[in-house]
Amino acid sequence: MSALTFTLKQSIQQRVDLSSLTPDKLVGKNINDIAAIQLDSGRLKLRVDSLFDISGDNAEDIVFNNANGKLDYIGSQMKSGRITVNGGAGSYLGFQMRKGEIVLHGNADAFTASGMAGGLLHVHGNVGDFLAAAIPGDRKGMKGGMVIITGDAGERAGDQMRRGIILIEGNVGSYCASRMLAGTIGVLGSVGDYVGYGMRRGTLLLTQQPKLHSTIQDCGTHTLPFLSLMFKSFQHLPSKFANINKNRVQRFAGDIANDGKGEILVFK
Amino acid sequence: MLIKLTGGRIYDPAHNIDGRVMDIYVRDGRIVERPGDAETIDQEYDLRGKVVMAGAIDMHTHIGGGKVNIARLMLPEDHRASPAVHTDACRAGCGHAAPSTLTTGYRYAEMGYTAGFEPALSPVNARQSHLEMCDTPIIDKGGYAMIGSDDYFLRMLAAKQDQNAINDYVAWILHASQAIGIKVVNPGGINAFKFNQRALNLDEENIHYKVTPREVLQSLTRAVYELGIAHPLHVHGNNLGVPGNVETTLKTMGAVEGYPVHLTHIQFHSYGTEGDRKFSSGAAAVAEALNKHKNVSADVGQILFGQTVTASGDNMRQYANSGHGSPRKSVLMDIECDSGCGVVPFKYKDQNFVNALQWAIGLEIFLLTEDPWRIFLTTDHPNGAPFTSYPHLIRLLMDKGFRNDMFAKLNLDAQSMSTLTSIDREYSLYEIAIMTRAGAAKLVGLHDRGHLGIGAGADITVYTDNADREAMFAKPDYVFKDGQLVVRNGEVVKVTWGSTHTVKPEFDRGIEKDLKKYFDTYHTMNMENFKVSAAELEDDGRGHVIVQECKGRREKTA
Repeated sequence: MSALTFTLKQSIQQRVDLSSLTPDKLVGKNINDIAAIQLDSGRLKLRVDSLFDISGDNAEDIVFNNANGKLDYIGSQMKSGRITVNGGAGSYLGFQMRKGEIVLHGNADAFTASGMAGGLLHVHGNVGDFLAAAIPGDRKGMKGGMVIITGDAGERAGDQMRRGIILIEGNVGSYCASRMLAGTIGVLGSVGDYVGYGMRRGTLLLTQQPKLHSTIQDCGTHTLPFLSLMFKSFQHLPSKFANINKNRVQRFAGDIANDGKGEILVFK
Repeated sequence: MLIKLTGGRIYDPAHNIDGRVMDIYVRDGRIVERPGDAETIDQEYDLRGKVVMAGAIDMHTHIGGGKVNIARLMLPEDHRASPAVHTDACRAGCGHAAPSTLTTGYRYAEMGYTAGFEPALSPVNARQSHLEMCDTPIIDKGGYAMIGSDDYFLRMLAAKQDQNAINDYVAWILHASQAIGIKVVNPGGINAFKFNQRALNLDEENIHYKVTPREVLQSLTRAVYELGIAHPLHVHGNNLGVPGNVETTLKTMGAVEGYPVHLTHIQFHSYGTEGDRKFSSGAAAVAEALNKHKNVSADVGQILFGQTVTASGDNMRQYANSGHGSPRKSVLMDIECDSGCGVVPFKYKDQNFVNALQWAIGLEIFLLTEDPWRIFLTTDHPNGAPFTSYPHLIRLLMDKGFRNDMFAKLNLDAQSMSTLTSIDREYSLYEIAIMTRAGAAKLVGLHDRGHLGIGAGADITVYTDNADREAMFAKPDYVFKDGQLVVRNGEVVKVTWGSTHTVKPEFDRGIEKDLKKYFDTYHTMNMENFKVSAAELEDDGRGHVIVQECKGRREKTA
């Protein structure tokens, strides 16, 4: 059995919704059924085989080759298996994902891991704004699982995040961890303005001293044993975070304009 | 154009026609007498074996205005979960509990409904409500102006102004808001909430104005009657949803001293306090009182299980319910010091004791109330359930076996508290036609709708008789709106724009002198801007304003 592979035939102008191409939805379907699936693209419905060359047969292991930023909702609501994306992805990568693994080699657009509840999402590249954030109208962003970004993330990363871990090896834009409800975000690079804006609970781990707004309060320098345990749990991860072992941090609490039970920990 | 509808089985309770096979002729949007033999029939529909009724009328449905829009705004998940794609005739839309205006009109028409009335049109918000309803295609519409907790009225009552002055104010409100009736929500309670009162019983004073709900009800029922408006005062009583409120409801029926009154979503006002959980059915008492008080009518406000959203002017009760919201969010607000608004999403569950008993209480009221001319089929859309569940509700009323099967799935504690299975009554097609057509038209005061007599507007629905009443009422074969075929086989084939029904009773315009002074002193807007003109509703060419006949002032009482 070889990976079920979708290779994009040509560059596309209109965005395409790929939410119907997940392992749990394709298992048990033959190649003709898969080729005939209709994908939403603007006002049109397009057959899968009009966009992709299809090969392979293991629907538990899906590969998108030649992919680009017009392909939205890859791995949306996926419940099992593995998706590998080579090239790039559009918005809503891993949207409301429950289980399984997505690996992207390339960049993704906005709302990556939005509403994600479980599984692993690994992006070898950058992501756009609203990483793990709630879509408009929803009250909670990411609800569980693990996200690793090797590159940079845009603004509002972790907005209204409720649970789970996000590890960002690059830099992050403004409003990181805004309105965060709970969960953990680690950033190895720099963060923009208004970090932890409206943060209610949760932990934001930074390596560099950020610029803080006035409702984030300094709580002094501490040695926190839980950090050793946490980094130990990261040791198996395919990430730079696997090599960290520090537990001496300066702790900031906030946003005190919104309950103030969140914490921003900065390595000393 | 002359259309002939041949050989259908007609149910027209307004003319005592119960399933007689007849032909109907339609010319220029009206039902006409059988033409002479020389005239050519332009179009003929063979309706042999089909069931023919007037277009159905929903006399209480929240389809326009501030709170509906807030519900839409607050529930993007409702929209995302039910997209409606465009067809050749229809534009795209969305929404289940709070559908977009276009989708609302299409879905009503697809069920054979040709009119719906917004029961909580806040006069200060009337323009917004009407413009939204004008964007609701196919069906006719109208609104009941919501007063009774507005500052000007409560000042009048507190100052013990005479009934004629109150009548003039009520008439002015009807003109200014282009409404067809008057509604009162939690009489005086919306206002009392703003003075930190969290409950208001029938004889309890508003602490600021020293006015009781009883006085509000008495003056308004009398005003509506004396102005000669067909639709009796539309009352959403005090203590909605509170266990034990059946007492308030029974007292409210007595409080109006024989004047006509309509008690809306009465299911939510029919709760006792018996049993281990201190929550029980007051349906038997309410139905008995309804049977006795001929001046009282009611609509049920049946709940059906599933996700919906509750939207009400009753900020006092919605504030109390806001903790039960699912998903957990709510909006509670004041509107210009004159009314209120509370929107709380809600999910009714059949395994929840209270919800299951609410379901049974609603059905008990339907089945124990004897006169179908005074009880109306509503879910208080979207408060009890979205209007799209009407076919299911009709089946529950018409099919005892189906009803009992559904009942057997409910929360067991609720089952043991209900006598529903002991009721054998099944509604007939004729009775359904009364509730949803003839009776509703009479109640609202639509003189040319809800019946199939000569001169009536040709709003006609044609069904295929089917023992599964849900399937039958969900998908009519044909729906005609003003003589035009708008729905075929349950799908919209042509989009028209219905009219807005209003009443314009006579009154003494001298009241504007005092009103102007009031507006200039207290209000955020100019009195002239407050008034909505018919031209505003008509100027985009979507429908007309129809002024329904009003019998004029009856015996002055001053």
